[in-house]
Amino acid sequence: MDKMTFDKHTSAQFNAELEDARKHLMEMGGLVEQQIETAFKSLMEVDTDLATRAIEKDKDVNKMEITIDKQTTQILAKRNPAASDLRFIISVTKTVNELERIGDEAAKIAKQAIELADTGSGPQGYVELRHIGEKVRQMVQSALDSFARLDAEAALSVMQQDKAVDLEYGTAIRSLVTTMMEDPRSISRALNVMWALRSLERIGDHARNIAEQVIYLVKGKDVRHKKLEKVAEQVKK
Amino acid sequence: MTTLAKDSMEAVFEGWTSTVGKPTMDSDVRMSTRNVDVHYGDKQAIYGVDLDIGKNEVLAMIGPSGCGKSTFLRTLNRMNDTIDICRITGDIILDGDNIYDKHMDVVNLRARVGMVFQKPNPFPKSIYDNVAYGPKIHGLVTRRAELDEVVETALRKASIWDEVKDRLDQPATGLSGGQQQRLCIARTIAVSPEVILMDEPCSALDPIATARIEELIAELSENYTIAIVTHSMQQAARVSHRTAYFHLGRLIEVGKTDKIFTAPEHKLTEDYITGRFG
Repeated sequence: MDKMTFDKHTSAQFNAELEDARKHLMEMGGLVEQQIETAFKSLMEVDTDLATRAIEKDKDVNKMEITIDKQTTQILAKRNPAASDLRFIISVTKTVNELERIGDEAAKIAKQAIELADTGSGPQGYVELRHIGEKVRQMVQSALDSFARLDAEAALSVMQQDKAVDLEYGTAIRSLVTTMMEDPRSISRALNVMWALRSLERIGDHARNIAEQVIYLVKGKDVRHKKLEKVAEQVKK
Repeated sequence: MTTLAKDSMEAVFEGWTSTVGKPTMDSDVRMSTRNVDVHYGDKQAIYGVDLDIGKNEVLAMIGPSGCGKSTFLRTLNRMNDTIDICRITGDIILDGDNIYDKHMDVVNLRARVGMVFQKPNPFPKSIYDNVAYGPKIHGLVTRRAELDEVVETALRKASIWDEVKDRLDQPATGLSGGQQQRLCIARTIAVSPEVILMDEPCSALDPIATARIEELIAELSENYTIAIVTHSMQQAARVSHRTAYFHLGRLIEVGKTDKIFTAPEHKLTEDYITGRFG
């Protein structure tokens, strides 16, 4: 599949329904990106107002989830989509699910920011946190871009980035454990940072899952639970 | 055909060389066609089709109107012989026999390769006689008791026995459309065919009658090879193991039905099954 040709169906209504679902998905993606940014900023700047806003935003994301699910259910019931249309509906449904979970993780990050603010301190493990946070944000953006552009190679690159994030996550956790052993008074704060790191790492996983859906949509190949080298082969075919 | 239409048709096939997917099989082949061309007068309707149909396989043939799928289906039991201007070249082999061989007995061939049509067409006779007709003329049975058994077995296999067992002597034309179609299927299987051809068998039926025929197709595939032409893509997706997509007389793509309906390879197949205009 080279490009999304929603305007080519004999049924103009079907065209419009698919286009609507696509638009809503992109809108939801935008909301989630904003939510991650707000949550992350609230954590780095220990800003409880921002954190509250990030938590509030989760409601909008949840609403979008329901709207899009309704649309895709209607399309399945009425249009019996096949081939690329079917793959599109399936990948939209799954991507919506991933986005909703990303929203949940962003809200969790914001909650950690509030707890850190309550103890009156900033996040330790600061460097790793900032680094992983930036990477993960980029991954979500690239995954959504690859969906919008139906770019399987860009999706593959998101999957590759997730591997790097997982490695960095492991390193950051080890360094936090060391901090906790050296200074037991830091444990509570270190745990907040750890939870935030954990949420970021999960967001990376969800971005990877979105990328997998993009490859399924574009190439018709299910690449879930496959080695990256195998995925690369399928994408380049 | 206007020059413009002809040009655009050829444009579609610019660079078209062969069928996408795997039209032939390595084993368990019941019927195979090789390089089959069909002409009606000077108009070519089918272009070099190679296709195998496996034992116990349900093969669906889909494509837009005029793509040649029905013409192709009808070549499989020489139904086109009745059309004077129709000319068929290439090989069509049924269990090793070329069905267009001059020694082939066409009547016998049509018992081996039965056909069910779009509109149910029972004979204006009793339900019993409709099913008994084939076995009688083919001399498959001699005694009445045997014939009774053949009729009952065929009606049972066609899932209509319970509905008609108490009125076998009544005219078949009194049955509902769906029942008539199942009776026609019973009539076809009464002569123990190897292959059953179905040309849009459900297009004149309501959804429930359609569901029963589809159920029946699944059951029949345990014993027979079935080739079905259908305009309903959902039906093709539901009943068949493999799907063949025809376009302007060419066999464009063949593949496992699961794959054709989720990730077809050829753009024409994709456009057709997603309802896009080319």
